Amino acid sequence: MWFFFAKVAPVEEVPVNHTKNRIVIFFRVLILMLSSLFLFSSGVWAKDPAKEIRIADGKGDWGYPNAFQHYPRGPGYLRMAMVFDTLVWKDANGNIPALAKNWRYDPESLRFIFQLQEGVLWHDGKPFTADDVVFTIDYFKKHPYQWVPLGKVAGAERLGLHSVSIQLKEPYAPFMAYVGGTMPILPRHIWEKVDDPKRYQDPNAFIGTGPYRFVDFDSTKGTYLFEANKDYYLGKPVVDRVIYIKAKNPLMALLSHKADLVNIKPDMAAHLKKKGMVILTSPRGWNKKLMINHKKSPLNDKRFRKALAYAINQQEIIDKAHRGFGSPASFGLLSPDHVFYNPDTPQYPHNPEKARKILASLGYQENEKGFMEKNGTPLRLEVLISNITVAGESMADRDGEVLKKQLENVGISVDLVNLEQATADAKVRNWEFDLAVTGHGGLLGDAMTLERMISPRVAGSVNSARYGANRELLELLDAQMTEMNEEKRKAIVYEIQRIYADELPAISLYYPVSMAAYNPEKGIAWYYTKGGIALGIPIAQNKMALIE
Amino acid sequence: MQGGAKEKRFFRSDLGLVATFCLAALVMSWISYALPRFLPGDFVTATYGASQVTLTAQEEAALRADQEPQGGFGHYLWRLARFDWGYSYVFNTPVSVLFLGALPWTLLLMGSAHIISMVIGFVAGVEAAWRRNSAIEKGMVGGMTVLEGIPEICTGVILLFVFALQLQWFPTAGAETAYGEPGFLGHMADVVRHLALPLGTLVLAYFPGNFLLTRNSMVMVIMADYINTARAKGLPPLRIRYVHAARNALLPVVNRFGIRLAFMITGALVVERINSYPGVGTLLYNAIAARDLPVIQMVVLMSSLIILAVFFALEWAYRIIDPRIRHAR
Repeated sequence: MWFFFAKVAPVEEVPVNHTKNRIVIFFRVLILMLSSLFLFSSGVWAKDPAKEIRIADGKGDWGYPNAFQHYPRGPGYLRMAMVFDTLVWKDANGNIPALAKNWRYDPESLRFIFQLQEGVLWHDGKPFTADDVVFTIDYFKKHPYQWVPLGKVAGAERLGLHSVSIQLKEPYAPFMAYVGGTMPILPRHIWEKVDDPKRYQDPNAFIGTGPYRFVDFDSTKGTYLFEANKDYYLGKPVVDRVIYIKAKNPLMALLSHKADLVNIKPDMAAHLKKKGMVILTSPRGWNKKLMINHKKSPLNDKRFRKALAYAINQQEIIDKAHRGFGSPASFGLLSPDHVFYNPDTPQYPHNPEKARKILASLGYQENEKGFMEKNGTPLRLEVLISNITVAGESMADRDGEVLKKQLENVGISVDLVNLEQATADAKVRNWEFDLAVTGHGGLLGDAMTLERMISPRVAGSVNSARYGANRELLELLDAQMTEMNEEKRKAIVYEIQRIYADELPAISLYYPVSMAAYNPEKGIAWYYTKGGIALGIPIAQNKMALIE
Repeated sequence: MQGGAKEKRFFRSDLGLVATFCLAALVMSWISYALPRFLPGDFVTATYGASQVTLTAQEEAALRADQEPQGGFGHYLWRLARFDWGYSYVFNTPVSVLFLGALPWTLLLMGSAHIISMVIGFVAGVEAAWRRNSAIEKGMVGGMTVLEGIPEICTGVILLFVFALQLQWFPTAGAETAYGEPGFLGHMADVVRHLALPLGTLVLAYFPGNFLLTRNSMVMVIMADYINTARAKGLPPLRIRYVHAARNALLPVVNRFGIRLAFMITGALVVERINSYPGVGTLLYNAIAARDLPVIQMVVLMSSLIILAVFFALEWAYRIIDPRIRHAR
């Protein structure tokens, strides 16, 4: 380093104030250079507005966009769905044909028969046929795709070049939502050579029939690039490039035109509207839920859980932790916006007196500190809290604090424990908790979500109550899965909600107001899909919004 | 005869040094192997726990079987020896690809932060020492001592708030505009703009230390007789300052630079997190959140091995520079 200074040595013969001038000049030049860089960068790529659309979220990375590698949450599925199409899809109004032109169910033979679109090409130019559909079913039976359980499907058969039948083992009500509307169809000519699909990362792993071709994913930056598939069979994509980016501050990203579509916090809505952005409000499809360890005393007692329900003031949590942006949840799990929602589901209006009475009837007495105790043992519960929120975002909130106050108000002393997400999840999964605040979506999709969020057969989910103590409930959960008649299925689902709300294996707390905002200058009108995208994803990023 | 004994002793102590570092490397390898396993929860729970998808016991077991690490520590070492870093659970890509993809960003960020803070800190330190007891010097020493006490997480958030959110001069996150394709010059400008805030945070964090260190050693040096001699000879002040005095004050600064260099990878963790900078720190953070064991192991191992390697190089360099260290018993 010193020789650097040695080289400048000849200059130092000048008086000191001259050197000072030199330093000043040096910094001026430096500032000039930096600011020119700055100017340069701001206006360089003002692209044609219709050519490119940027969608931002707070996490960015959702895995590679194919069936075997995307993360098992909504945003991961949506990125995959840009490339891969399903047999059926949904737009703003309900089911629309995708790779299948039309379909019918034959109850006699337990078969679904699909007539497929003709002239559809894979991204590599090969034609799409019935063989691809048959292959996809076989392949997913061998290498399961967790989103679409195929246990009830016996197999698929090619009836013609563009006609296929799928054989069920028994009636299976969620078939159209799951196999029809969620399962991506894979190209046989590529995957038939692949034995380990999880490790398969050739560019061919991203050949689909969807409206966009996959170009790039950067896992560390959390960015995706898709380019339009000009030959798309349902219409020409109106935007040439779709880019997903990670943006921690969606408001900023939208206002500085770094992103065109973002999820926003509800209190930003008014400000964004003033700036000319369009605000979308989601139907209630995602709930914050109190998980209860119903295998452990005293929480294994239904009466005790009812006391909890009466102690909880849903509206107060919404008001205090979310400035009023939310609505109280149904105790029957399905969203009031669901077609199968039972309006007569039992309710637990906030009533601390009643909660105290129930606790007293269970043998609890108030001690001098105002807390309940039984035989000298104080009633103490641990509450795990996490920062999970709608649309795959995470956000710290004060749900736990408000809940603690409410439970302490009826004499239950509470330890609030805020753990890192995976640690909390592991505890809930292994039943090492008392109460836990978590959340999940799917409340608008097919009623199969009830089976998934209640049944004890589900082992690995932090969101599922895994409740097996009520036989009738279990039988009804099975029955609604096999009831192909919509009205009869609805009646069963009504009954499930009633029993669930009576048993309270978990307590839904509230539906946060979930909003998205987009820049209308790009000429695309985004929308929330009725019943959620695919099996019920409550995110306003339906790929059909991008099709002419 | 005597020379031979010296040689032998030299050789033996060198061998000891190598052995010590090898042992340390082995211990580091074991720690990187064992420690991440103590994390509560595993990849399957972290991925599927709070997901839209629920798993039956069989499905969960099947997924878990996929991720079971094979072999014990011996196998792990053998794989290391063959430069086989394994595959990321999350991305199913080789860990080396992920690591080498993130490393350049961290090197760019940390390297420029160290060099800038060292150069500015050194010059400012020399100038301050030269103006000892002046108001400027006192103010600077006080100010720098305070600044030294403020953690990166604090300056980082303040800079982000002021320059990105309020003034909107710089982007809030990332290392470049995704798929911007603005041409070479535009791209460079874009990278610089994204670099500005995390770099500023780090420079503010490292600069005071360099300044104070230089100033302190410089103050000792300028009291030495040979400086007076130089002055008496009538040499210009700038020459005395930098060629005569500062050269001797430079050693501790270079030493500090070396030690700091060792923490190149881990040092950026906080700042990368605040600014969503796609470096090794972000890679490690995401890997821990997803319980991506092979990635955690490799990032932990590589950063500890780099620290070891730099220390080893420094130790070696000292022995050559200063024979007293070599012969110390």
